Amino acid sequence: MVPLWFYLVVSAALFAIGAYGALARRNAIAIVMSVELMLNAANINLVAFWRYLNPFEINGQIFAAFVFIVAAAEAAVGLALIIAIYRSRQTVIVEDVNMLKW
Amino acid sequence: MEITWQTIAFAAFAVMTLGGGLMVVISRNLWHSALFLMLSFFGTSGLFVLLVAPFLAAVQVLVYIGAIAILVLFAIMLTRRMMGLEETQNTQWPAAAAVAVILFIILVITVSPLVDEKAVTDIFGDKVANFNANLPVDPDAKDSGVVANQDLNIVTVEAIGEALVTRDGFVLPFELASILLTAALIGAIVVAREDEA
Amino acid sequence: MFSTPTFDELNIWAALPMMALAFGTCILLVADLFIPKDKKVYTAVLAGIGLGVSLLIALLQASGVEIGDKSTAFEGIFVVDQFTHVVNVISLMAGIIGIMVSYDYLERTGTERGEFYTLILFSTLGAMLMGSSRNLVMIFIALELLSIPLYILSGFRRPMLESEESAMKYFLLGAFSSGFLVYGIALIYGATGSFELVNVWQTAVDILEGEGAGQFTLLIGIAMVLIALGFKVGAVPFHMWQPDVYQGAPTPVTAFMSVTAKTGGFAAMLRVLVTGLAVVSASQGKAIDVWQDSVQVIAVLTLILGNFVAITQTDLKRMLAYSSIAHGGYILIAIAAGGTFGVGDSSAQAALVYLMAYTFTNIGAFAVVIALERNERNTITLNDTKGLAQHSPLLAAAMTIFMLSLTGVPLTAGFIGKFFVFKAALEANLEVLAVIGVLGSVVSAYYYLRIIVNMYMIEGDAHPVADKQPLALRSALWLTAMGTLILGILPYIMTDLARDVTLAIVGR
Repeated sequence: MVPLWFYLVVSAALFAIGAYGALARRNAIAIVMSVELMLNAANINLVAFWRYLNPFEINGQIFAAFVFIVAAAEAAVGLALIIAIYRSRQTVIVEDVNMLKW
Repeated sequence: MEITWQTIAFAAFAVMTLGGGLMVVISRNLWHSALFLMLSFFGTSGLFVLLVAPFLAAVQVLVYIGAIAILVLFAIMLTRRMMGLEETQNTQWPAAAAVAVILFIILVITVSPLVDEKAVTDIFGDKVANFNANLPVDPDAKDSGVVANQDLNIVTVEAIGEALVTRDGFVLPFELASILLTAALIGAIVVAREDEA
Repeated sequence: MFSTPTFDELNIWAALPMMALAFGTCILLVADLFIPKDKKVYTAVLAGIGLGVSLLIALLQASGVEIGDKSTAFEGIFVVDQFTHVVNVISLMAGIIGIMVSYDYLERTGTERGEFYTLILFSTLGAMLMGSSRNLVMIFIALELLSIPLYILSGFRRPMLESEESAMKYFLLGAFSSGFLVYGIALIYGATGSFELVNVWQTAVDILEGEGAGQFTLLIGIAMVLIALGFKVGAVPFHMWQPDVYQGAPTPVTAFMSVTAKTGGFAAMLRVLVTGLAVVSASQGKAIDVWQDSVQVIAVLTLILGNFVAITQTDLKRMLAYSSIAHGGYILIAIAAGGTFGVGDSSAQAALVYLMAYTFTNIGAFAVVIALERNERNTITLNDTKGLAQHSPLLAAAMTIFMLSLTGVPLTAGFIGKFFVFKAALEANLEVLAVIGVLGSVVSAYYYLRIIVNMYMIEGDAHPVADKQPLALRSALWLTAMGTLILGILPYIMTDLARDVTLAIVGR
């Protein structure tokens, strides 16, 4: 059987990739996609922990299900905002969302 | 570690998840990014299958690929003038890469004690289910051995449904989730609707 | 077959303020469809009634009337204690005053939409639930319920570009931070096997005491949750969205979210950290210093950056944004004090008293900005306050009260808040932190008093602003100004509410 840490490393790598995308991409839609990757990474982590450490309590899977709900809600709202801004500005480039600025 | 079908499947799904994810953030074409996002979601779904969480695997396909990724594709089509963008990364990408690498290293250090399977048992004690076996062992029935694969699946799906409406304590979050979705729905409509004025 | 719990078993009446608000929101949603576009005042009134009914119940509960019994509801996921009640009162007050300052603004800018009020109510509900959850699942969902309406509300003033941009910026950073929250919760779950705060911390005691390697997993998990909550309350170094969003969002929304997002975020922070500490102390008889130092550092950074950058601002809204970052720093001092054994309760009380005072004062200050914005301009610079006292003495007087209260001058609510915070810090032997807090107040006096000087001592060429504001805005100004004064002169009104606040462990 695949050891637990394999899953955790995959999850950590996916989270880091998502964080990179969220910080480095210019297009707002790409940033939304990167954030979805981060949420996915957390879900892999949750389900792996559930399966290996706590399989007789349902709570890990339930939380993962709630993460789906929130991810869907965020994607709907975020993409609506992006489309609205595109309509008035004809661009969705996030030059001024400078997330690393102190 | 011996090579079993599970190891091979894991490797395939992990490559799908991570490769897809990487292509999402570095691909120059936004449309390709979205398709790779689907691939990554699909790989995650496969990982869920390997983790014996069939319900989540199905929901992953339905919600992430069927709803979120499609929504992203629509958004890309509606903002299509942005697709042929030459510069996809902003000027601070080296800093972002550094942050990502540091984050990855921290998270790997976080899980590194778990590499040693004995340590896992030491840390988590009797909570840890039979770590090397394919299937978890019911702690109440240690003598009787392993629960059948099939049983675990059935229990899982049914138990999720029950936990959301019975006394397992998830009634309130369940109700709140519906309020949250209503709020998001109203919000998205308010934002996206053309003014009729 | 499974058994569905009954209302009594769920202890559903204990959550009556939330239930009433959720019900009211649904009614509002349907009723708004039948209210014609030029009569949106009815929607505003209806939303106010919904919040008012809920506030009434919350006040009854806070003053000791038992509605519903037991200490928890919904099978232990929802805590019913004085902390819950006071957080309810604060969030609902913010909601009501928020609607009062909004109505006229929406009418004037032509963005009158019934959904505005619905979203305000949803966000208020989220803030209330953050104070009453002791389960990481609940905290996560309540945080999203608080934030998602705020993203939309920030972009409500269309087609103004700044507003839309601030909404997108707020959304992208908020979504990014919720990624951290989820990952942090997953790590905590991995280390402890539970989402219940009490269970988490009980397991944490063993992990932290022992040599176990799970320590790092747990600590990084808690750190990531704190980062996400820090984003929400705008603590340095996670504050960078705040000035831009506060400046770009419609002013009433800024007023509302400067209070509500902070109330929710700090309530959750207190629940996570101080409840956890109570568990640890109860089982060990001593505090395990897990997070106090990091919160102290964040508090100091927040205070310094907020106060000093506020001095350099010329835009009034942006200055208030930085000042509100600084005020977050004071609440962080209170939270840091909670890290010392035995100070947990007074730390929670101090934070709540501070938030109560801040609610009236800060929304009031933004209400003055709304009144000034009446002469067809989007930005109000400090120069626009020059000579205000001549043509609108009442408005100038109100602004003076708010500025004095934000500085923390005695006889205003702000002083009482600061007094309790510094008292908690001294109880916790964090003298250095208290001194830095006092110095921060001295620095802040410079930019707050500058506005008063502008209004009274300098001849202004700004457009005259009528003292006679529209009814809703005028009453909001009176309410917040009087509230600030009354709470400052008769502080026991709010300290009595907060006195019974304790974050002790409530059984299942």
